[in-house]
Amino acid sequence: MTDVRLSEVVVDRDRFRVGPIDLEIRAGSATVLLGPSGAGKTSLLRGIAGFLPLRRGVVRVDGRSVERAPPERRGFGFVPPGLGLFPHRRVRQNVSYPVDLRGTPDARARVQRWIDRFELSDLAERYPAQLSSGQRQRVAMARALAGEPRALLWDEPLAALDVESRDVLLRLLRELIESEGIPLLLVTHDPATAFALASNVVVLDEGRVRFQGAVTAFPHAPLNRFMARFLGFENLFSRDDLLAAGNGLLPRTLLEDAGPGGIVVPDDALSWTPASSGSDLARITSVRWAPRGWALTLRQGTMAFYMHAPSDSSPLRVGDAVRLDLDRTRLRPLAAEGAS
Amino acid sequence: MTNDTVGDRAAPARRALGAVLAASLIGLFILPIVALFLYAGYGNIANAAGSAGFRTALYFTLLASGIAVCFGILLGVPLGYILARYRFPGRSIVESIVLVPVMIPHLIVGIALLVLFAPTNPFGAWVAGLGIPIFDAIGGVVLVMVYVGASYVVLTSELAFRSVDAEAIEAARSLGASPTEAFVTVTLPQAFRGIVTGSLLMWARGVSEIGGFLILAYAIYPSFPYGGPVTNTASVYIYDLYSTAGVQAAAGASALLVLAALAVFVVVRFFDRTGMAWTKVGWFA
Repeated sequence: MTDVRLSEVVVDRDRFRVGPIDLEIRAGSATVLLGPSGAGKTSLLRGIAGFLPLRRGVVRVDGRSVERAPPERRGFGFVPPGLGLFPHRRVRQNVSYPVDLRGTPDARARVQRWIDRFELSDLAERYPAQLSSGQRQRVAMARALAGEPRALLWDEPLAALDVESRDVLLRLLRELIESEGIPLLLVTHDPATAFALASNVVVLDEGRVRFQGAVTAFPHAPLNRFMARFLGFENLFSRDDLLAAGNGLLPRTLLEDAGPGGIVVPDDALSWTPASSGSDLARITSVRWAPRGWALTLRQGTMAFYMHAPSDSSPLRVGDAVRLDLDRTRLRPLAAEGAS
Repeated sequence: MTNDTVGDRAAPARRALGAVLAASLIGLFILPIVALFLYAGYGNIANAAGSAGFRTALYFTLLASGIAVCFGILLGVPLGYILARYRFPGRSIVESIVLVPVMIPHLIVGIALLVLFAPTNPFGAWVAGLGIPIFDAIGGVVLVMVYVGASYVVLTSELAFRSVDAEAIEAARSLGASPTEAFVTVTLPQAFRGIVTGSLLMWARGVSEIGGFLILAYAIYPSFPYGGPVTNTASVYIYDLYSTAGVQAAAGASALLVLAALAVFVVVRFFDRTGMAWTKVGWFA
């Protein structure tokens, strides 16, 4: 059972600096590095794997610091976003690569074990170019594990996969974490992957850690504008937005509950009733059919709200007037920008 | 596969024009060779094959070009790798220098090498002191062949190294391969075809060379590793034949040289392809 520990790790990239970051990945758990494109996730992962020099900091594997060792002596199974399969080697030869390098005595059995584990027996004699993207992912995973790594580092494992292959891969990864006890560090831009796999989440933005903690604490973490956008919240209002919206009941209420960075109105905090007269009415400015029902844009004064309505709700038309009601317990105040 | 869109009425005309232009060039490549063989006829080709002088010239040319290709690979592949993988000041100057031998007329290559290696200047005297004969010897032939042909090895291997997936190399490193092991097991196999192609181009360029030989090594006297009688390169031999015995005799020897070159080409390509089955699948097909 291996633990990987990062202390004060800083990686310099062309434009900016990633870190400092402290992180502990325990045996049998997955940590996900989450963030938008260009956040520095990949640079950090490459720094840990040994393909980018660390500006400073220590990477310890079972207490032994490896940050000065070349990639091949760090004991990580690093899987790049394009997988890096060897096009000139068959599936079996890809999987056996790390075993061939070391010439271990039980080589055949070990390779076969991983080929069976990832359901690759029927594909063993094919070349990577003859595989689907889901199959290629499984080869990359089997190959990385055949090298008996102390930890797996995986950059965007689920990118470019259809839903079915994605589910298969997620199931395999989950089983793997449990059965092999290998610490897993994943990089992804997709929060759904993080929720499906990780026990811990690190959110990076522009090289800085915006959130770090248990995945269960993630949805309840103090929100700032970046995190709110990243988690998919659409109705964000700064204090200035609310002040500019005038003296109506809705902006006044929101302003009372707002944090220093403003406020988030989650989809489920809003409800509406058709109304023909009265003050503070909102108007529907767009209606679109979405998988979950109707996707609506409503406008009240200078404020626009995006929300969903169930598919069986009464017909909605652009221009209809509605009264908006707020569930104040569901509002999320925003911390100041830069805070986490 | 076509890229014709629905309702594109000009498509057949455009395809026909493309086919005519392509066929014209293919015809230009093939017809002179066909004419050569028809003109030479079996008799002249058999005469050339039976001529001890031409057989020696042919053997010498294959020997010298084989040695030259070995030097070309030894010196050209590392340069191709450096150009493919590294960014350094003066890189574009180096790339331009690699193209110089392709640009300048090869008679001038002969004259320039003659001047450089003349024992009357310090460099030429130093080389002569090493005991490597250049003038009228296999050393000079190999030198000219490397000069006029090694660029092809550099350029094609550079392209080949560039096309190797950098992520595959990183994956190999992470799986436990040292930089050398990753080069041998991942980079080289994928670049192999490019290197073979470049070597073949270099070889063909060397065999077809004449200008440099006319100046530097018109007649070849024995010196290591060539121990046979005084001879010429095959190209010079044919040129001599043309000017002394006429075009019919030259055509027979020429056709035989073409056959020898084609044989080498086919054999190399055959082993190249059978050894690289993976290139026939998916997008490599």
